[in-house]
Amino acid sequence: MKPQMILTVFIMSALAVFTAENTFSAGALKQFGDHMGRSHHALLYKRQSCDSCHENSEPTAFPADFVCLDCHDEVELVQATARPEEEKWQNPHNNMHYGKDVPCMECHGEHRESELLCAGCHSFDYPDFKK
Amino acid sequence: MDNKKDYQADRRRFLVSMGVAGAATLAGPSLSAMVNEGEVEWGEDHEIVVIGSGFTGLAAAIEAHKLGATDIVVYDMMPYFGGNSTYNGGLFAVPDSPLQKENGIEDSPERMTADQVLAGRGLAYQDLLLHVASHANEALQMTLDAGTEYLPYLQQLGGHSVPRTYQTIEACGAGIIRPLVEQCRKLGIKLVTRAKFKRLIFNKEGTVEGAEIAMGYYFGRDVDGTPVNVRSKRGLLIATGGFARNVGLRSAQDPTLTEEVPSTNPPSATGEALLEMFRVGAVPVHMAYIQTGPWASPDEDGFGYVSNYSIYNFAHSVSINVRTGKRFMNEIADRKTRSDAQLALRNDDGSPLPPITITSFEDAKEHPTMEKVLKYKVGWKFDTLEELTAHFNVPLEPLKAQIEEYNGYVKSGMDEQFGKPMGKAEGKYIRAPFVVVRNWPKVHYCQGGAQIDVHARVIGSDNWQPIPGLYAGGEVTGGMHGVSRLGSCSIPDCMVMGMTAARTMMKS
Repeated sequence: MKPQMILTVFIMSALAVFTAENTFSAGALKQFGDHMGRSHHALLYKRQSCDSCHENSEPTAFPADFVCLDCHDEVELVQATARPEEEKWQNPHNNMHYGKDVPCMECHGEHRESELLCAGCHSFDYPDFKK
Repeated sequence: MDNKKDYQADRRRFLVSMGVAGAATLAGPSLSAMVNEGEVEWGEDHEIVVIGSGFTGLAAAIEAHKLGATDIVVYDMMPYFGGNSTYNGGLFAVPDSPLQKENGIEDSPERMTADQVLAGRGLAYQDLLLHVASHANEALQMTLDAGTEYLPYLQQLGGHSVPRTYQTIEACGAGIIRPLVEQCRKLGIKLVTRAKFKRLIFNKEGTVEGAEIAMGYYFGRDVDGTPVNVRSKRGLLIATGGFARNVGLRSAQDPTLTEEVPSTNPPSATGEALLEMFRVGAVPVHMAYIQTGPWASPDEDGFGYVSNYSIYNFAHSVSINVRTGKRFMNEIADRKTRSDAQLALRNDDGSPLPPITITSFEDAKEHPTMEKVLKYKVGWKFDTLEELTAHFNVPLEPLKAQIEEYNGYVKSGMDEQFGKPMGKAEGKYIRAPFVVVRNWPKVHYCQGGAQIDVHARVIGSDNWQPIPGLYAGGEVTGGMHGVSRLGSCSIPDCMVMGMTAARTMMKS
């Protein structure tokens, strides 16, 4: 993504969160026209800019793995979900089995409900995780 | 996008590279099906191609690099690396190891092989075992060079005659996989996710020249990906692990392993690459020897916490049929005996009726897993037998009588019910408060697979010679362990056979 584009998306997203704060919480799954999507991406839907994430404006496939990191900073994500020492490897953004190599979409659904990858085996509690 | 995240197969590139031969069909198992008619259009060309990114695949890639290979690619069908290896318990048996020398423990590759031959009940391939045991130190060194950290002491696992087992500090194979993945990145080895091996491609001489790989494959999401023909100059290594999660394949071998028997393995343990090797003539070996773990729990998926908890606690616990309130097995019999006894416990409608294993809190708390088991609610603590029986709907009076009877065996040192060796239960009476878990066997390891030789070459059934260009190592292969693999012997098997495959390929 071009820097200018990133900036535009950033400003749009910030505005969206700011203006939408009172009607729904950031990250909630919501209907946008034909699509379900996350509330903090509201303006992307409003402007129908599918190619912000997908390869083109009429997507037929998943976006590239880690495309989210074009806007979301990996270091900040790892810090935001850090766990106490005895649970340090339960950090979903830097975990024991896969390190930082789990593609975002394996836990986060943009157009559908999110499902934690680790929930297949573990019952770790992530209170801030938005389904 | 930074380079670290550059390993997903590039969708645009393989759309372009998809050629006529991408659609070439290989219909049946006849020899003619193994030879591709006409020109194959190659989408990619590499020196070494590895299928699977577990212990075997990563060890092979790193060893090939060490021996001078400059274009190595590792494909994994999942969105991340490590397969079942990164779920593994991190136990690594090494004879004549540095830690053994430090502690004055006498051991040798021959001695480790003899232990394994015994567990293999006459069916284990001694030449493969001895080869692995003889090179295990080199494999250990490869992990140390990559940055793996081990506990400072050795363990003596069941069936091993001396302490020879290292364990990663994470108590997980991830403690090896993560450093090996990072090592591969440092060395410039290409790692590609969402790339699913589909079929082998032979040249006119009957040599494996490459493989069809579906790039952009999304496991479990109905996206098949785009086929690309990938050429491998020095050969192709199949390192795809076992088939514990392929219910059709495993229950065809062992009809007791239906879908109601879960597995400690990730869903990717499907065995499709193994079937492709059989299709082109590889020799199936020991396919019905599929190991289940009676220490697992139906309350969590995978290996979980209860497995290590139960392995530790079974010796001083009672396993109870919740319907009768009575014991039904020797809690420390061999894995198969216990799994069979558990699987026989049924409701009237035939559905599974997992037994409970009751341990005194006083004894259970000695192992660090108890805390996890209680914290993650896959085990429960009860102050009285009344609370316990109410929770699991067990008849109280028979259970009370059973525990009293068992405590008599603890005192006498003789289990008159099931002949359990009571040495390790000495003084450990079953009394309140109690910790209780439920158990149900899980498919853990496939001893069977494709036949290989000590050079990691896959043997063909048409002439009992190696299939040229085709190599395999690790759980996808069969023969090495015979009827039953000893604990901590999979990592040396995988690592050494991966390194061996690299050495053979680099000589080719």
